[in-house]
Amino acid sequence: MIEFHEFLVAILRSGTPLIYAALAGVIVHRSGVWHLGLEGIMIIGACVTIIGIVLTNSFIVAILSAIIICIIVSILQWFVIEKLKANQIIVGLGITGIGIGGTAFAVESIFGSLAAISAPFGIPRVGDTFGPYSGLSILVFIMPFAVLSLWVLLLRSRFGLRLAAAGEHPFAARSVGANPSIMRLIAFCVGGLFCALAGAELAAGSLQIFAQNMVAGRGFMGFAAVIFGGGHPVGSAFAAMFFSIVSVVGIRMQIHLGNFVSHDLLLCLPYIVTVLGIWIAARAKGRTNSASQPSELRDQ
Amino acid sequence: MNGKIEIIIRPLAFILLATILCGIIFEIAGFSAILMFNSILDGAFLGSRSLEKSLRWALPLFITAVGVGISFRCGFFNIGAQGQFYMGSVCAVYVTEYMSGANAVIVIPLGMIAGMTGGALWSLWPGYLKLRYGVDEVITTLMSNFIAGLILVYVTSGPLKDQSGSGQQASTKILPSEFRISDASGVSLTIILITISVGITGWLIINRTSFGTLSSLAGRNPTMLKYQGGKIWQLGLVSFIISGMLAGLSGSIELFGPSGRVVSGFLPTHGFTAILVALVASYAVIGTAFSALFFGGLFSAALFLPIFTGLPTSAIDLFNAIIALLITARITLGKKFLRNRWSHSHD
Repeated sequence: MIEFHEFLVAILRSGTPLIYAALAGVIVHRSGVWHLGLEGIMIIGACVTIIGIVLTNSFIVAILSAIIICIIVSILQWFVIEKLKANQIIVGLGITGIGIGGTAFAVESIFGSLAAISAPFGIPRVGDTFGPYSGLSILVFIMPFAVLSLWVLLLRSRFGLRLAAAGEHPFAARSVGANPSIMRLIAFCVGGLFCALAGAELAAGSLQIFAQNMVAGRGFMGFAAVIFGGGHPVGSAFAAMFFSIVSVVGIRMQIHLGNFVSHDLLLCLPYIVTVLGIWIAARAKGRTNSASQPSELRDQ
Repeated sequence: MNGKIEIIIRPLAFILLATILCGIIFEIAGFSAILMFNSILDGAFLGSRSLEKSLRWALPLFITAVGVGISFRCGFFNIGAQGQFYMGSVCAVYVTEYMSGANAVIVIPLGMIAGMTGGALWSLWPGYLKLRYGVDEVITTLMSNFIAGLILVYVTSGPLKDQSGSGQQASTKILPSEFRISDASGVSLTIILITISVGITGWLIINRTSFGTLSSLAGRNPTMLKYQGGKIWQLGLVSFIISGMLAGLSGSIELFGPSGRVVSGFLPTHGFTAILVALVASYAVIGTAFSALFFGGLFSAALFLPIFTGLPTSAIDLFNAIIALLITARITLGKKFLRNRWSHSHD
């Protein structure tokens, strides 16, 4: 039984950042844009949280500044895609590059070296009342409510309908007085908030450390979860959870099978499962490929 | 003529814009932007022997970027150049391992063919998934990069690990000198000849074959292609194979040329930079040569940045990323202004 609790804790630890990233991807996805900048914005969130904790010694200040900076970068991404009509895939990769290069640059110009920074404390933990789960951060416990509230927002509210209209049929959105461009801006801002939480949880949830390039594809995996989950908040959260279960199982297998299979090859498991997930989603839906531009341009 | 001038001026304008943005960021961070750009220019192009050092990075970038351009031109965002590059070098290193006794004249071409095959196969499965099942190639090629990176780590720290190494960086054994086609400088007649022949072949494929014409039609207007009788899955598969082949070739050149061995996680930004090179050149081969030289120069200058200006090497990554962010933007200020006014009256 104790083993089971440990397993669940490991899944929640590795799954929560992925789920937050997937939620950010979902809301932007529903507004009609493929959010490939998740990776970059996540690493910015992680970096700002840790630097904030180290410099100001206050968790609240750190997380707030992470949220603000992530929202600013998201707005930048929205601006380039929406207003400058740039290709959203390349822009997403550019944002990822800005995240990885920019955080390395910031760390090196503030601390003078690229070594990992460790913070004295991280996100507040839930405490001893939760028994074996006492080491988990509060963001893990907020996560189900975040999924639920995003579900309400996207599928049970007027705003959600308008957002979906902006993504699927901008003309319809415009005909009821909703500006698709503004809808996307709001989606990107909410996405920035979730990316900041994802980064914060990844860096300060259990390790309290920021290392170069520590996101290591989790943002892209979160994005794949969006596709696997069909753009539905709950489905995508489950897809993200599934990817993290696979990666935890991969790590467990290293302990038991380490002598038979190289652990580097076992580390491939989550990426392979991601590809399989996308493939299944494509089989189910016919296709998963994007238009290279927001649908705004298609309906003209 | 107007379009041709625009193709040259547009990327230059974006590079200038990125330079200004970066300069502002560097000034805010407390570095002297003027000093920094001076030393980049010096390190990349003007200093003594700096052009040779730039070429060392520009040649493999050019080879990979020609391939990236061919698949982007066809409308497929094959961003797996990094993984194909790694798989090329891994396949080539296996050939050298199993044929270490054979003559170099046999081993080197075989190694390169193996590298090209490895790269092509590594690009073939995302391509097949895309064309057969409609699985988006952006995610699959991204994931293929991570998988190839881990395979590289596995090969260099497992079966082919150089046991005599210091253990700092996992790598394979250094090739004996008769298997090398250049010294550590990375510029030799053989490599230059291979690069030029890749360039000429790429140019011929794009400009003088029906594949080139139809594939650029496929990228711009798939519906039109259908009525022209082009087969998208044929074109797509070939463009995936060519781009993987060239990335793999560039990986094997890295092994036989400047590096002489395969190091775990080497050149981690190669694929991304090659994509940038292709985008800046708008996928044209001649433009690719110039933009490869530019980005190769930047890379070579970046290695010396910390020494001269105290600026971290990641500054160049930031600069490249800002170019990537802006390069596909359609900013035509005058026209945009006009169009907005028109479209308002139509709304």
